[in-house]
Amino acid sequence: MRVRRLRKEVAALEVTAFINLIVVLVPFLLSTAVFTRLAVMDLALPAQSSNKLEQLKANDLKLEIVIRPESLEVGDRIGGLIQRIDKKDGHHDVKALNTLMQSVKQKFPDTKTASVLSEPDTSYDVLVQVMDAVRAGRSTNGGPKVVRVELFPDVSVGDAPVRTKGAS
Amino acid sequence: MTLTPLQKRAARKSRNSHALDMNLVALIDIFTILIFFLLSSATEVETLPSFKSVKLPESSADTQPKETIIVVVSGTEIVVDGRKVADVADAMKAGDDVIVTLKAELELLAKRQVIRKENEGSKTAVTIMGDKDIPYKLLRKVMVTSARAGFTDVSFAVRQRLEA
Repeated sequence: MRVRRLRKEVAALEVTAFINLIVVLVPFLLSTAVFTRLAVMDLALPAQSSNKLEQLKANDLKLEIVIRPESLEVGDRIGGLIQRIDKKDGHHDVKALNTLMQSVKQKFPDTKTASVLSEPDTSYDVLVQVMDAVRAGRSTNGGPKVVRVELFPDVSVGDAPVRTKGAS
Repeated sequence: MTLTPLQKRAARKSRNSHALDMNLVALIDIFTILIFFLLSSATEVETLPSFKSVKLPESSADTQPKETIIVVVSGTEIVVDGRKVADVADAMKAGDDVIVTLKAELELLAKRQVIRKENEGSKTAVTIMGDKDIPYKLLRKVMVTSARAGFTDVSFAVRQRLEA
């Protein structure tokens, strides 16, 4: 005589509808996803009404970075040229500029403003890169961690002084 | 005990049927995670539109964009809030610092009433989305024009660089 056993059915999940939904949703969301994050960079434009002359103080830093086609000139409006950073591999050496900015910041910790002066043919990309190097830097501060340090966040933009012919 | 014909048929059927056994657990896992990730990233409010013709420069700045008037300067044209106002070639050729059509458009927009009090501050703000290859000369013209039109709070739109 045959013994009747309880037949065990394999448990089956009906997931077709769920998979359908997912297959539609994933390409849709992927196509609308934005992978680049946008940010803004605030600019300190001098107010139009401020036409009274400012008394320049001797130990006040008025940092100016001039973007020349072949180099970056870092200077103080009163103290004159601090350093000229030549191009490296056909690009402006923003890394060296950033290092220099950090050492300048250590000497003048209270200064927050700087001017980036560019020539008419400077490209926007170079300008933004230089502004970036002036605004903030990354340093280790002696420790093992790399921290973001604020350098001169109030950057204004202006025209480079025209070079007189003959002067280098 | 003999089986009835109906029981025999059921037994035969269950013996012969080979149910397709697909293991979909991993697939469903991945899709579920993807959906949550994409949904959360899609709900982020985008205040700046993106344009195919404008390649923004990269920067490490991380200030969030504000709701302002947007001036887009691409390689060929200047667009204010979706309306084309000037050709770049014309603007470059003009010897004057002020782009007349851009100034007119900005002055029109400046006249708009601010309804909500907290938006008062954004009245003088303008965001410039410039292509990274435009020369400073053009950028300067756009900035001078917006300053003349009363927009003194200029900010540059940049693409956030992923920090390693």
